[in-house]
Amino acid sequence: MGLDYQTILWNKHKKVYDKLILAFMLMYLLVFAGLTFTFNAQTTIETLIIRAFGTLAVIMLHIILAIGPISRLNTSFLPLLYNRRHLGVSMFLAAAVHGVFSMIQFHTLGNVNPVYSIFTSNLDYTSLTNFPFQVLGFVALIILFFMAATSHDFWLKNLSPSVWKKLHMMVYVAYALIILHVFLGAFQQETSPFTIGFLSIGFVTIVSLHLIAGFNEVKTDTKKSEKDESNWLYVCRTGEIEEDRAKIFTVDKERVAIFKYEGKLSAIHNVCKHQGGPLGEGKIVDGCITCPWHGYQYLPGNGQSPPPFTEKVATYELKLVKDKIYLNPEAFPEGTEVKPVNC
Amino acid sequence: MNERKDFYIGYIDDVSPATKKFLKRTVLILALVILTTAAIFSLSQQPFANSTFELSNETKISGVYHKSPYPMLRVEVEKGVYKNILLLGFGKFGANMYIDALKAKEGTLINRRLTIEGNLIYYNGKTLLQITNEQKITLEPERSSSKTDLASVVGDFELEGEVVDPKCYFGVMKPGKGKIHRSCASLCIAGGMPPVLVTTDSNNISEYFLLTDLKGQPIHSDILPYIGQPSKLNGTVEKLEDWYVMKIDVSNIEKLNKNSEIY
Repeated sequence: MGLDYQTILWNKHKKVYDKLILAFMLMYLLVFAGLTFTFNAQTTIETLIIRAFGTLAVIMLHIILAIGPISRLNTSFLPLLYNRRHLGVSMFLAAAVHGVFSMIQFHTLGNVNPVYSIFTSNLDYTSLTNFPFQVLGFVALIILFFMAATSHDFWLKNLSPSVWKKLHMMVYVAYALIILHVFLGAFQQETSPFTIGFLSIGFVTIVSLHLIAGFNEVKTDTKKSEKDESNWLYVCRTGEIEEDRAKIFTVDKERVAIFKYEGKLSAIHNVCKHQGGPLGEGKIVDGCITCPWHGYQYLPGNGQSPPPFTEKVATYELKLVKDKIYLNPEAFPEGTEVKPVNC
Repeated sequence: MNERKDFYIGYIDDVSPATKKFLKRTVLILALVILTTAAIFSLSQQPFANSTFELSNETKISGVYHKSPYPMLRVEVEKGVYKNILLLGFGKFGANMYIDALKAKEGTLINRRLTIEGNLIYYNGKTLLQITNEQKITLEPERSSSKTDLASVVGDFELEGEVVDPKCYFGVMKPGKGKIHRSCASLCIAGGMPPVLVTTDSNNISEYFLLTDLKGQPIHSDILPYIGQPSKLNGTVEKLEDWYVMKIDVSNIEKLNKNSEIY
């Protein structure tokens, strides 16, 4: 949480995270280069750079895309999500080295502009096997550039969280383009079953994780609920919610988080104002609902971030009939004080 | 502290022992994944050719200039044995711009003796020379008595292979063939480099054919759709000492739907 913008709000965990990113990237590049020079020494330095950074970027992208759904399935992985932004920017840098070196190698020093050359030097757009795969990589790199360039809370705030989120969901378009770029490009020539098999497993893993995580959410979202005579919706019994934790309940396609704490119940909108994290998967810490993604906090009674912070989410009214929790489906405006229900 | 147990908050330094243990295990697994993938991707690369491009080294070559129909320097490597060194320009261009500049000053260069300082490219018995500057071409005063009609007809052939740009194929890039390199090869040939058909037989022996049109004139833009993919070509083959020249009708080239087998 921050009041003003700094390039990076460093803390201990971000530093460790970034050191590990750097160490893993260097380890990959050194192992790739070392083995290539040992067993396939006739390579050129340009080809080595293009291949080492290209494959590194693809692997990093798979790890990045796996972190989201795997953290939803097992919250122990949430520390990997905390600084995923830096992992994304690092992945873009690796992809950019691959892209820029490829452009220099294959498209500069000719009789046309290099960017024009990417789109026109192979015109077999109607063929699948001969498709100009470099175009796919170029478009993916442009998307990754805009994502990396806006990977900062300044842009999150100024673009608005919904626009920012839509822009960053473009990572899936970039991923699809990159998979096609590799399968219609490198894999048309470098046909090792190990690399093709490895990337195929990676693709299936990413799709499966997203489907499983999505299926779990659909189950929550489509759960039917009974109404009482005042049209309030039955949520669950109080014993079904752990202390300081929440139950996520869907009302008119909006998810609501019902928290139990200190013998009380409060309900707020489930979506964190920072990056859309699921507040209902968070925990009450120091009296505040704490987002599991980046630790943004809200007071359970009014959905407001504690001063001096200014984020606010919608609140909901609850009532208790014996130990059955009922929710008024009408949301209050963001930051509205609602008296907690004693349980 | 207790209430934070097993709930990770990035900006709080303390981490529960369970989270710490889990993260250590995860980092170890990720390290193994990184090492494994680096090994798989590196060791799965196809072998690179032992071709050479002397980028940082310039060599002076003297020989008799001829254009058959692409610029070449005929060099006597030992008594009565000649090698034709294919001349190429800087970047993705042919040598014509440098040759034409000298020709404009000195008149025709055909059958004249030149000394050229440039970067050698060589592979599998073929040598090429990259010229980077017209100032590095010197016209020697003596006239050559070398014969001018070097080509002899071998016959009509139907050959399967791949059309490449010779500069990249013979040393500048690895691999300098196939789909990955296709865009570059198209730029090189569009820029004035000769298209070369490479064939490789079942014994892994390669032959190289400089491609011309039926009249023996250079072809560039017409052949671009066929570059970097296995193709079948028909034409008359001539032997030009250590090179072959193949006269073809570009419209008769047949693209083959199979993997590249050259090198």
